[in-house]
Amino acid sequence: MTTTISTAPAVDQDKPGRPSGWHGSSFVTQVWVLTARSMNAFWRDPRMLFFSLLQPLVMLLLFSQVFGGLSKLGGLDQYGDYINYLLPSTLVTTTMTAAMSSGVGLLTEMSNGVIARFRSMPISLFSVLLARSLSDIVRMGIQLLVMLVAAALLFGFRPAGGVMGVVGALAVSLVVGWGLSWLFLAIATWVKKPETMQAVAFLTMFPLMFASSAYMPPSTMPSWVQAVATVNPLSYAVYASRGLATTIWESPAVQTLTASLAISLVIAAVGGWIATRNFRRTT
Amino acid sequence: MTDLMIEATEVTKSFGTVKALDGVSIQVPKGTVLGLLGHNGAGKTTLVNILTTLMSPTSGHATVAGLDVMRHGDQVRSRIGLTGQFAAVDENLSGVDNLVLIARLLGASRKQAKDRAGELLATFDLSEAATRLAKTYSGGMRRRLDLAASLVGRPDVIFLDEPTTGLDPLSRIGLWEIVEGLVGDGTTVLLTTQYLEEADRLADSITVLSKGRVVAAGTAAQLKAEVGQRTVSVVLANPDDAVTALDALSRAGLHPMHDRSRNSIASPVAKSTDLATVVRALDEAGVEVGELALSEPTLDDVYLAVNSEAPAA
Repeated sequence: MTTTISTAPAVDQDKPGRPSGWHGSSFVTQVWVLTARSMNAFWRDPRMLFFSLLQPLVMLLLFSQVFGGLSKLGGLDQYGDYINYLLPSTLVTTTMTAAMSSGVGLLTEMSNGVIARFRSMPISLFSVLLARSLSDIVRMGIQLLVMLVAAALLFGFRPAGGVMGVVGALAVSLVVGWGLSWLFLAIATWVKKPETMQAVAFLTMFPLMFASSAYMPPSTMPSWVQAVATVNPLSYAVYASRGLATTIWESPAVQTLTASLAISLVIAAVGGWIATRNFRRTT
Repeated sequence: MTDLMIEATEVTKSFGTVKALDGVSIQVPKGTVLGLLGHNGAGKTTLVNILTTLMSPTSGHATVAGLDVMRHGDQVRSRIGLTGQFAAVDENLSGVDNLVLIARLLGASRKQAKDRAGELLATFDLSEAATRLAKTYSGGMRRRLDLAASLVGRPDVIFLDEPTTGLDPLSRIGLWEIVEGLVGDGTTVLLTTQYLEEADRLADSITVLSKGRVVAAGTAAQLKAEVGQRTVSVVLANPDDAVTALDALSRAGLHPMHDRSRNSIASPVAKSTDLATVVRALDEAGVEVGELALSEPTLDDVYLAVNSEAPAA
């Protein structure tokens, strides 16, 4: 070692014995390692696993039973059973609850110090957030698969689009859910408290969920709710999912698909930018 | 030649109208320990957050390892380790997996990460619990794992934010020994604590914070000299001896005070040999001693000595 110490900030004064190159892994490695970590929490907690898989089933049971009589109404009979109308949209709304839990999960980790450790390390914070959203999307996918299988076996879900149509609907739902998870991650880094997060999230979630085509055809709603449902991004996602699964398109197929995917990507981009910015340093 | 590893100059931090830091300056030479002493809310954690790039200062300037914390955040982060107030370990991972995770994030290969994890687990006496999930660890084990995690990248500077709060005495001493070992290896440490005893044991110099300002700074010995002394308190076996005892201690050159309600006599002492003086004086006067205790000055005593507006704790 030389006796003079350089004062130039860019020069790295490694201590002897420090492993060379341990100054942050590649972005891909970060995302991979962190995603695996978040997934691990899911598998390690059997109760959480059980209830997060049970939740969509309960929703499905409730909605199909409570709203089952609606299939006798005009407009819905073309779908056959109401479950065929309901399930593709439930795929979308379920991803929204999963997206919300993404934000809540981030805040929980922020409060127990794990996130502070990552923030004090030479790694990209976007990768911490991306890993969170990716692990949540995998979780979402598992939830939705369980729901689809149960719907087919127990509730007589037989959409006209067949397996390929349903897989398409699943894919659209996951992309939309992933986009929405960035909305909730951005909210999380902004409100910073789990309790506030819950309140803001429900305020965001329920209007989006119900003032949409998810459960009822907008034509049955008062005109002002109809107006909201028409501009609600979730409606496009629901139309897309339902169109793919049932081959009945309530609006032009290509436009609907493009709109739902484009909106998701815009939400992801804006949410990602805001979340990463809020996350870097608190002011 | 001074080689400062941490330097903060007139750092302030406001949260709305609250000034968490009000012009704090510190300097920590390479390979030394600075003890940042203060009660809750004094601004210790805020300063640590600024130095570890988690928070931006409202004004002022700070460098770590010669790097500006605002302009070279990423480089600072590759030189530091942080052990916060909460043991920041992933409860759903085993001890070894927690350390492997950190090493992998720092850029180690799988093999290197495993080796480094094994090394640290051995150092921190966690080898036997290596494969157990961190949520099954005791408080002391978690702290050790947390500290191990912050050392994975062999940082030049480590920040320990109240590392022993909530630990039992044995774990606390264990942690102290680990910190002493680190310093022996040339690591620079900034340690926050509420305990004067802890700062005294570990720190080369101590900075006392109160309400976001530096109210005292110096070595432990200098601070203690300012604070005054340790106190000997004697509980009398026989309450009637009070006058005799006061008399005897006064003649021995001490300044005893009588606490009637506790039936005890307290006297500040300057040096440890004064303890013998107390015992001898009382013995010669024929006073029977019930209990005898020597108490160290506390953080409160420091506050009282340096700042008459100290918060009542």
